[in-house]
Order: sequence, then C-alpha cells, then structure tokens
Amino acid sequence: MLALARGLYFAASMLLFGLCAFGWLLRARLPMILPLRDQPLRWILLLLALVTGCAWLGLAAAAMADAMDRHVVAAAAADTVFGQFFLVRMAALAGLGLLMAIRRGRAAMVVLSALALVLPAATSHAAAASPAGFAAIGAMTDGTHLLTGGFWIGGLAALLLLWRRQEPNMLLALSLFSDWAMVAVLLLLMTGLINAASILLGQKGTASLLYLSVLGAKLALVAGMLGLALVNRFRLMPRGREVLIARHAAIELGLGLGAVLLAGLLGQLQPVL
Amino acid sequence: MKKLALLILLVATPAFAHAKLTGSDPAADAKVKTPKMIRLTFSEKLEPAFSGASLIDAAGKTVPLASSVAGTGITLLPLALKPGRYKVDWHSVGQDTHRMKGSFSFEVIP
Repeated sequence: MLALARGLYFAASMLLFGLCAFGWLLRARLPMILPLRDQPLRWILLLLALVTGCAWLGLAAAAMADAMDRHVVAAAAADTVFGQFFLVRMAALAGLGLLMAIRRGRAAMVVLSALALVLPAATSHAAAASPAGFAAIGAMTDGTHLLTGGFWIGGLAALLLLWRRQEPNMLLALSLFSDWAMVAVLLLLMTGLINAASILLGQKGTASLLYLSVLGAKLALVAGMLGLALVNRFRLMPRGREVLIARHAAIELGLGLGAVLLAGLLGQLQPVL
Repeated sequence: MKKLALLILLVATPAFAHAKLTGSDPAADAKVKTPKMIRLTFSEKLEPAFSGASLIDAAGKTVPLASSVAGTGITLLPLALKPGRYKVDWHSVGQDTHRMKGSFSFEVIP
C-alpha cells in the first residue's frame, strides 16, 4: 500500500509538473498555439497528489512506529525530516490549487509543481546513500531525475491533449517538445545511473535480488520508452507521420507511468542486504 | 572541477540506505565490568521520535534507565548493573523513514 501511495503520488506530481512546464513553454515559444485545455485533468491530478501524499504520510508513520494512531501521524509530520518536507509539499500543492482557481501565475505554477515533485528526493535512498554523508549530492541527482522524468511524461500528456483537439500546429509543438525532451532524457538517464550506482555499489553487502528485479523491470520500461521516442524523433517526425507518432506517444506515456509505479516500489525496498 | 566531483564520488565513504546498526559499546557477546553507558552507533542519522532501545535482564524484565537519541547514536544510561546477561532491543528509523530493529546481548561480570 505504501509503495502504491508513493508511486501514485509521483505519477500525479510528475504529470502535473510536466503539464505546467510544457504548457508554459508552449505559451512562451509558440504563442500561436492556443492554451492547453487541461484544467480538468490538472484538478484530478492535484486531488490525486493531495490524497496520495496524505496516504503516504499516514502509511509511512505507521511503518516507522509499528503502530497507527493520530499521535503517531502528528509526530511523523512534525518531528521527522520526511514529515516537515511533507508539510511544505502540501503547502506547494495548495498554492498550486489557488493559482489554478484564479487562472494566474503560469511560471509560479511550474515552480510550485516542481517543489511538490522534487522534495521527496531529500529523504530518498539516493540522498541516504550520498558520498561521505553529503545528502545534498544524492538529493540533487534524485531531484533532477524526478524533474526530467516529470517533464518527459507530463509533456507527452500535453502533446496527447493537443492531438485530441487536432491542433493545426502540431508539428511545431512536437518539434519544441522533442528539443527539450532530448536534454531531459539525457539527464534522466545520467542521474538514474548515478543513483543506481551509489545505492547499489556504494554499500557493503549483497544487492537484494528483489530490488534488482524491480529495477530491471523499470529499466526495461524506460528502454521501451526510449526506443519509441527515438523512432518518433528520427524516423516519423521528418516524414510527418502524426497519427503514428500520437499512437507511440500514448504507449510511451503508459510505459512511463508503469516505470513511475515501479519507482514507488523501489523506494520501499531494501537495496542491499 | 569535473575531475574533483568525480574524485569525491569515487573515494568518499558512502552512507547506507536504511539506518543499520554498525557498532555498539559494549559489543555484541562481550563480557564487561559494569558499563557506565551503552552506546549504539548507526549507519545514518536517526529520527529521534521513532528510534530507541531498551535493556532486558536475564529474568526478562526491562531495566529502568535514561536514554537519548542524537545524530547517528542511541545512548542508554543504566544504573549499576548486577552481574548477569543482558539483551539490548533496538529500533531505528533513518531519514528515509524505513524502520529497522534488532537485538544483541552482552554479559556483565563481577
């Protein structure tokens, strides 16, 4: 349950960040494209992030205390580093909701959705396994991993919304996404490798077979996404095969969400026994 | 600068994901004269609200003592311990919120 709550929180907050960031980029770079009509989706994602964020705190508190009551949850929220970051994340999501309600502050929405996504990195395995105990190193690589992953899958969701309304400037939007996504994916792979290496190789003991299996499954899904992205970028885009690109993007998004759910599970497993 | 960053990554001692017990004084299965304090050291910083330890004597009773959790350590301050075997039950939660628990024993000799 805890792994599911984590996974769903990451999925919702990654999609929210990607929609906000790519939506903002579209407005800034391609003003001829009308704004994404993604408000209903954003509200659903915001609600999902709030609910799963609270469930994550409650379940983590129960796991930390090996018991469950309101005092345990209150202590987890007030007296632990994870809980204090949880409060900041919830405040960021509340602020995002406020801006969405008044339909103002697109840049601030990007910042707030980024905060909600990136703060769990401070208490991640990568942060705990940082060299010489400098948690900031692991937190930064993990935070970059989350943000770039969020841009990738949230941007794909934004593109699918544009296809759905048959946007006449679709190829321009695709080209913009493709340019930024290439940088994001490169950073995503680099930080993923660094995280995995520091978590698995930097510790005494034997790597857990279960952890390695889940990590392998996640990498397989990401490899599938990468393959589709490369075909889209270098084969289909030059030929203007929009329908096939859209189909691939939908599959890519599905694989991405699967990878995020597995990442939620990875965070709960002990990497090295 | 890049070389320096790489060097730090390669040579620095890593911390562990999950707060594991890395040592104790008295050590596990040690025979010692009445210890003034019992110190447990963990692989990462602990969450004091959810970490702790207790001391159990040979009769299975919990020994009353003062304890504190700070940084990567738990300290127990028992009053003069009588000779006999004692067990330390500990539980730790690191900043990654994962709970670990375990126990070890030592013997107090006259």
